[in-house]
Amino acid sequence: MEILAKTAFAFYALIICIGSIMAVTSKSLVRALIGLIAVMIAIAGMYLLLAAPFIAFMQILIYVGGISVLIFFAIMLTKASSDGDESWPSSLRSTLNALVAMLAPGVILAVVILKHPPASIPGPAEVGVVNLGKGMLGPYLLPFELISVILFVAMAGAVLVAWRKWGNK
Amino acid sequence: MSALTLYQLVALFLLSIGFFGLVWRRTLVGMVISLELMINGAGLAIVAAAQLTPANAVMGQLGTLFVMGLAAAEATLILAIVLIVVKRFNTSQAEEISEMNG
Repeated sequence: MEILAKTAFAFYALIICIGSIMAVTSKSLVRALIGLIAVMIAIAGMYLLLAAPFIAFMQILIYVGGISVLIFFAIMLTKASSDGDESWPSSLRSTLNALVAMLAPGVILAVVILKHPPASIPGPAEVGVVNLGKGMLGPYLLPFELISVILFVAMAGAVLVAWRKWGNK
Repeated sequence: MSALTLYQLVALFLLSIGFFGLVWRRTLVGMVISLELMINGAGLAIVAAAQLTPANAVMGQLGTLFVMGLAAAEATLILAIVLIVVKRFNTSQAEEISEMNG
C-alpha cells in the first residue's frame, strides 16, 4: 500500500511539473490552458491521496469545469492570434526579473520547510462528507453565507461592467 | 522526509512557477493562467496541512472550498475587466496598456 501511494504521488507530481511548465512557457495560450487543466486534474488526484474525496470532486467541478471554460472564453474574446500571442522572444531583462521573482520566495520557503518541518501525523485524517456538511451549517455558517453573497456580487458586477461598456460603443 | 513536507514542496513549486509566469508573461490572459496555478498551490497546501497535522481537518477542507469559491468569483471579474481593456485598447498585451486618463 505504501509503495502504491508513493508511486501515485510521484505520478501526480510528474504531471504537475510538466503541466505547469507547459502552462507558463507555452507560446500558444490554448496550450498553456491545456497545461493548466492537467495541473488541476493532478491536484485533484493529490486530494484523493490525502483522503479528501469531496474536495477532489469540487476541484474537478469548479476548476476543470468552470474556471478553465471562463479562461477559454477570455482567450477567444481577446482575439488571440493563431501563431501564439507570446511568439516573439522576450527580453533578457524580463526573463531575469521573472527568475528572481521565482527564486526569491521559492528558495526562502524551501529552506524554511526543509529546516523546520512541522509536526505531522503519518496518515491523513479521515473526515466524512457528513462532518463537512455539519461544519458548513454549524460553526462555519457565516463564511458559507458570505461566499454565496460574494459569488452573487461578482457575477452581477461582471455582467454589469461588461454590458454597460458594450452598450456605450 | 515526511509526507507533509513533500506536499508542501509541490505547493511551493506551483507558487514559484506561478510567480515566474506572472512576471514573464506579456498577455493578460497568460497572467491569469499563472495566477490560477498559484491559487491551486495554495489549496493543496491548505488541505495537506489540514489532513496531515493534528489540526482541525474540517476547517481546512472547508477553507479550501471557500478558496475555490473566491477563485471562481475572481476569475469572473478578471474576465469582465480583460474584455473591457481589450475593447478599449484593442490589445491584451500588458506592455501597451499604459495610458491613464479618466
